[in-house]
Amino acid sequence: MITVNIDALSISELRYIAKKEGIDDVKLMDREDLVETLKELYEERMSTFGGEGASYSPSTQPRFMNTIVEHELLNSVGPLPGVEPLPDFYPETRIYLLLKDPYWAHAYWSICPTDLQRLEHKEVPFEFFLRVSILKENSQLVEVDSFDIDVSREDTSWNINLPERGCSYLVSLFYRDEKGNNGLLSQSEKVFTPRCYWMDHLDKLQKDRACFTLLTSSLVTKGGVMVENPLLKEVADKLDTWMDN
Amino acid sequence: MKRKNYIGLILNAHMPYVRHPEYPRFLEEDWLFEAISETYLPLLRMFRRLRGDGVKFRVTISLSPTLCTMLSDPILQGRFTNYLRLHQKLGEKELVRCAAEAPESLSLARMYLDEITQNLEDYFEIYQCNILEGFKDLEDSGHLDLITTAATHAYLPLFSQYPTAIEAQIELAIQTHINHFKRRPKGFWLPECGYFPGLEEYLQKEEIAYFQLAAQSLALAQEPAKYGNYAPISCPNGVHAFARDFNLTSLVWSNQEGYPADPNYREFYRDIGYDLPLDYIGPYIHEPEVRVFTGFKYHAITGKGDQKNIYRPELAARKVLEHTENFLYEVEKKGRKLAPLIDRDPFYTLAFDTELFGHWWFEGIAWLESLLRKADQGESVVFETPTDYLRRYPDNQELQPALSSWGEGGYSDVWASGSNVWIYRHLHKAIERMEELSVRFPNQSSLKQRFLNQAAREVLLAMSSDWPFIIHNGTFVTYAESRIKDHLGNFNVVYENMCKNAVNTEWLVKAEKRNIVFPDIDYNIFNPDSDRIRYNG
Repeated sequence: MITVNIDALSISELRYIAKKEGIDDVKLMDREDLVETLKELYEERMSTFGGEGASYSPSTQPRFMNTIVEHELLNSVGPLPGVEPLPDFYPETRIYLLLKDPYWAHAYWSICPTDLQRLEHKEVPFEFFLRVSILKENSQLVEVDSFDIDVSREDTSWNINLPERGCSYLVSLFYRDEKGNNGLLSQSEKVFTPRCYWMDHLDKLQKDRACFTLLTSSLVTKGGVMVENPLLKEVADKLDTWMDN
Repeated sequence: MKRKNYIGLILNAHMPYVRHPEYPRFLEEDWLFEAISETYLPLLRMFRRLRGDGVKFRVTISLSPTLCTMLSDPILQGRFTNYLRLHQKLGEKELVRCAAEAPESLSLARMYLDEITQNLEDYFEIYQCNILEGFKDLEDSGHLDLITTAATHAYLPLFSQYPTAIEAQIELAIQTHINHFKRRPKGFWLPECGYFPGLEEYLQKEEIAYFQLAAQSLALAQEPAKYGNYAPISCPNGVHAFARDFNLTSLVWSNQEGYPADPNYREFYRDIGYDLPLDYIGPYIHEPEVRVFTGFKYHAITGKGDQKNIYRPELAARKVLEHTENFLYEVEKKGRKLAPLIDRDPFYTLAFDTELFGHWWFEGIAWLESLLRKADQGESVVFETPTDYLRRYPDNQELQPALSSWGEGGYSDVWASGSNVWIYRHLHKAIERMEELSVRFPNQSSLKQRFLNQAAREVLLAMSSDWPFIIHNGTFVTYAESRIKDHLGNFNVVYENMCKNAVNTEWLVKAEKRNIVFPDIDYNIFNPDSDRIRYNG
């Protein structure tokens, strides 16, 4: 409904914001320049995510905003006595997998200094890699495929693209030495990527008008924009192709 | 028999816990004060007016535990009064300025001043500074159903591997709700509509009957939803779920097609806090010379560009009526389209953030009032709550909803994006360590109990969905990051001290003073093995 509407602002508001955003020579810029520069700035910030329906998502609306621009902490709250800065990682060997959406997961890990010392002690050069296992249900969950991602010693997290829906994933942190020896350091919990019914039943949607209306009429705006979701988009795209053929 | 269209309007009122008595004024505290003065008080007035006029309506409101705690906090109540009085002074000053320099804005300045004066009167005389009483009163009279949400509005799918933390968020929410409203809530607002399969198990333990879902949740399920989003489904354990109607909500909540974008409505971003010279507006903004919104806004949206028309409430009021008629028309049209497809009257779930009405969309409350009045005058559209619906239709299709949220992309990306995903390494560790402390030191008393209770508060406050949301959206990033780091750093003080069997009393006294949310918290809620305390309000 409401995003920062640069066009609506007066020249004094624009100058104030531009100055706060660290834009140089604000006084020399006319309104048009200011609007253009700020739009570019905000578009760049907002471009990290967001498809066609993104502007309809409540999460794109600003909240808790009583100023247009962010200010450095006006009142430095400051830590309480005895509070230390957060560590970069915790002294344990561990990997964790966080499902962001059915297409992407985020893995973060840490390696305990003693484990690292143990590996370094062997005096054989080594490197780390992640093994992503794809698991499927076949009376029990079994690994059907896997792929490896090389990571450097400095890496502590990785965004993992998940190739399939309707299966589970887990990620393992391994080391591999120059002699070709592999060793498991840690394994994450499993995450499950959903697959929806309609992905495999497009024919029903195509043949049954009532079914199609029931499904879509609450998911599309009056102007024809569908709720933003990659799985639904995949269904819609497949349906389009199906109907074209 | 003529078919009816049932609308389940669910409003989520939530503010993150922000309380800084150590400073005379604190910029981020104004989030709450703006919400009270521009949304909650006007909304309560509107509901009372409808009730006074005998209008029949049923609306569901979720009041978050952090919001409830802040609304009943004497320090914040006093500071809200100061906020109103400061703005009242600004209003009086504006009457003089507008009369001399901007006569076209004079009536608007008066309108804002009247609103502030009315807010002051209501706040003191009707609610004795605690507006929760106003919501409770409307629930007692059968007009509102009050529900709750996660204790600190945590986005739960990203904690799915931490059952104890989820249980703590839910259990503490129920406890807080019962403390304030003397009733166990029947419904639970999932923060950000964040759902993962299995979440209903935690809700069932707390006797929750229903929750709301993002629009795509049922469409993405592994079986088809018989009624689409037009009836709730029953999760396998019997807890019901209502999916949002994206089509109808987008009429309101869209910056492209939504009513609030009408050129006659008030422009949110043109505010005298930015437009007037610093020597005039200085005392009413934040030090040092930080311009903020004051609420005195004299322009209409008009169109693109800075040439804005003066806001004319009578034109906006006409639009409100037009948009009411249009909304009802759209609902009825939809009902007619659905009639041959389903053998029940459709139920449309409209879920919004409460602050959309009044604060963001100035005319939003007038639109709601008009809608509730018109619906009551007619027969085809009825506002009722999910509880009412489940009373009429206790048996519903069994279906497992799919992982979903109402965030961009429909999943967890907003709360685990490139800018904020770093927080989970620390949050997850803090939860594990809190569980460890609860197991190692169960049922402590005195100083250690206070120390551990404070640790539980800090973990819960760090879990709030608001901090990653703010970081992702790029507003108030410094504050949000500092809050997460402070809470987690605070937790680490307890962890490290307890590992040495010590209590840092200096820290404890200061931390309790700073973050005294959930005064009755019991840290044992983090003990995976502990017997849960049941609250039977």
